[in-house]
Amino acid sequence: MSGLLIERPLPHGGRLVERVIEDKRVARKIWKSCNAVYEIKPTLHYETGVPVRNVYREIMSICYGFFSPVEGSMKQAEVERVLKERRLLNEWIFPYPLVFDISKDDLNKLGVEVGDRLGLTLKGKPFAILDIEEIYEIDPEELAYKTFGDPETNPEVVQQKFDKKHPGWVIYRSHQPYVLAGKYTIINPPKFKPPFDRFWFPPRKSREEFEKRGWRTVINHQTRNVPHVGHEFLMKCAAFTGDVEPCPGILVNAVIGVKRRGDYPDEAIVEAHEAVNKYGYIKPERHLVSIVLWDMRYGNPLESLLHGIIRQNMGCTHHMFGRDHAAVGEYYDKFATQILWTKGIPSFGFPAPPTDVPYGLKIRPQNMREFSYCPTCKEMAYSETCGHKREKLSGSFLRGMVAEGVQPPSIIMRPEVYRVVVKWWKQFGYPFCNEKYVINKEKELEVDLEDL
Amino acid sequence: MAYFMVVLLDDNRMGKLRGTGLEEHIKYMFGGELRLLEVEVTEELKDKILAEFETARVDSRGAITDVPVAFMRELFNQVVEKKSLGPEVVEGVLAKINEIKEMAAKESEYLPPPDIE
Repeated sequence: MSGLLIERPLPHGGRLVERVIEDKRVARKIWKSCNAVYEIKPTLHYETGVPVRNVYREIMSICYGFFSPVEGSMKQAEVERVLKERRLLNEWIFPYPLVFDISKDDLNKLGVEVGDRLGLTLKGKPFAILDIEEIYEIDPEELAYKTFGDPETNPEVVQQKFDKKHPGWVIYRSHQPYVLAGKYTIINPPKFKPPFDRFWFPPRKSREEFEKRGWRTVINHQTRNVPHVGHEFLMKCAAFTGDVEPCPGILVNAVIGVKRRGDYPDEAIVEAHEAVNKYGYIKPERHLVSIVLWDMRYGNPLESLLHGIIRQNMGCTHHMFGRDHAAVGEYYDKFATQILWTKGIPSFGFPAPPTDVPYGLKIRPQNMREFSYCPTCKEMAYSETCGHKREKLSGSFLRGMVAEGVQPPSIIMRPEVYRVVVKWWKQFGYPFCNEKYVINKEKELEVDLEDL
Repeated sequence: MAYFMVVLLDDNRMGKLRGTGLEEHIKYMFGGELRLLEVEVTEELKDKILAEFETARVDSRGAITDVPVAFMRELFNQVVEKKSLGPEVVEGVLAKINEIKEMAAKESEYLPPPDIE
């Protein structure tokens, strides 16, 4: 019997990266040893100047272990290996280049060189340090193309050449041309503002929380959306997986960062998911809402790999993946994520699924199709089970309904979830992310910092 | 894939539809809780909508969504005016694109929230 039980996987890379100094005395001493100080700036769209990313989110996710075993801004050889084989220099798989990029002007002003320690401030307060091990130049456009693949090099899954309509491509295209590579250390942990503070479960804390709740197996639900009833049913049914018994835990992990116009505000997303357990649609003993900081790259199979890494690091044993996972447009095959996790994508460095390659992942994929309303069954029905003609449910359709001021029927959006959407609509004057929301959010961020 | 756009119908819109001959095309979704019409969109018109409106997307059903509310309002007006659900309805909307974009620019800043607690 014990041989049938799935154990909580070790963090990716074997140990959790934790590069956060809580002791202010030690932090002040480290801060004084910095050779230069740099205020973190948002990455601005290379054409429009609107914020598309803030590297502080990557620093947070690296230092709190969400991206273990990554410890900092990648060196040139590591970026090249990630782009070619989706592996770090220490062999562990990883999908995306992560770098600390700055402009030539800023590099000249700072006057830093290899071996220097750069102090990083956020909102004018000391935040982190970067111990510089290498300085190199990148071509942002080339980086953008290589990051996501193209139809010639990756014919298994890439259907269309990437361009400026793809928000992830824009993020890399908007990088500054110089990279400071080296390890980050947070020396002044930021404080999350409400409502985000109650959803902050970095890997060590989430693993402790799972232990406390007796969640031996946990399935993750990735989200960047307010939940409709289809999502709720996906979670309820996905949790029937597990080992000899269903997963006792369902972790909702919301990606918090720059969103696309038309997505719901982050505040509404986390509170709407919370409403699912608060009002008993899934009992709170079985359902936990959490966040990770990341400006989504929308890289479908590559993003799913990052999601697998993040959630394994958080202690999950299973991960739900749906069609068009973390996708935008028709750049990738709709089932690119399923292709990766069931047979691999050789051109991306995976001759086998990421769970079957050396230095791969332990988290198990749970491929899911979709729930939609069946007028014959008169209930939400699973696409692979129900034999009737069903009414497909899409987030976009719901958004249209919300924007036109029509309250969605409770069979597709719970009234408590809708009330959360309206609560934040009243706050921001708009139900979705618009330019004003993004600009303001990127100015204010999700966090505040105290003096050191 | 066949493309379409959904026109949601509340009581007010139902009144305006009366006599257009389109009542028989009304579809009911979600156990009859939602009434709607589906307007046909050609491949060419779909591409034009996606090119004109940054937020527009095609969902898994082939429905074109996330266009400005002003677009959706005009879509309904054109349905009533043309008494049709064919591609000429979207063509009629796109003929007023400058007007719609002007209204969309305002609505991208503010949309009045529904009056619920």
